[in-house]
Amino acid sequence: MKVTTSTSGTASVAAVDGRVDSANAKDLDQELAAIVDGGGSRLVVDCSNLRYISSAGLRALLVAIKRTNKEGGGVAMCNVPDHIREVLEVSGFTRLTKVFGTVEEAAASFA
Amino acid sequence: MDASIEVRVEPRPTEPRRVAEIFERFGEEHDLPQPVLMRMELALDEALTNVVSYAFPEESADAVIVVGMDIREHRVRISIEDNGPPFDPLTEAPEPDVELPAEEREIGGLGVLLAKTFVETLRYERVDGRNRLTLEQSLEAQPENPPS
Repeated sequence: MKVTTSTSGTASVAAVDGRVDSANAKDLDQELAAIVDGGGSRLVVDCSNLRYISSAGLRALLVAIKRTNKEGGGVAMCNVPDHIREVLEVSGFTRLTKVFGTVEEAAASFA
Repeated sequence: MDASIEVRVEPRPTEPRRVAEIFERFGEEHDLPQPVLMRMELALDEALTNVVSYAFPEESADAVIVVGMDIREHRVRISIEDNGPPFDPLTEAPEPDVELPAEEREIGGLGVLLAKTFVETLRYERVDGRNRLTLEQSLEAQPENPPS
């Protein structure tokens, strides 16, 4: 897994690449926490190159959703491959975060 | 083409990924349709993660975990056996409420929910002092999208 951080408008963008499972979900948790700690409460998670996510990865995402919501922002997701979207839908995460087509659309949703 | 393999697994947190990737190669070698492969890989990962995380709370030298994978008669089957205390994840794991808002969402139970949703048949048995969870999927028809 690799997390690349950038910004788009007023949002922080975390591009999460590769595989997130129980072996490395803690790393995702820490990466996202670091972004929120740095003031990134409007967080876009770019899933363009996210190949796989299990419930352990969803937990890390839920922690970030809870924290950013509390700080008046939130998490918006984008470029979600179909098989990942299926996982988000089954686990109810499409109710907790909005899913957009592009980074720009996701970032604009906070405006 | 019929095929089967068996993998011995240690009760360590890095093992589910290793086994999931073995299944991925096994499925690709035998031309499993990509959606079936991905859903079963996730179900296997979730179920095995539960076993390595909870079935052996103490460092246990005699822990035995064996994962079997086979394809025959147009069915793909994965079995996960462990000699931990009896535990039926299908009835004993907490059931998450996926309709709650984020603030009220709990952490547990999602893995079992995903496995149940993504695989046609899940079966738990206690056999000869071992837990056996079987995941089974027909290859005759492509699975429809699960309900959202």
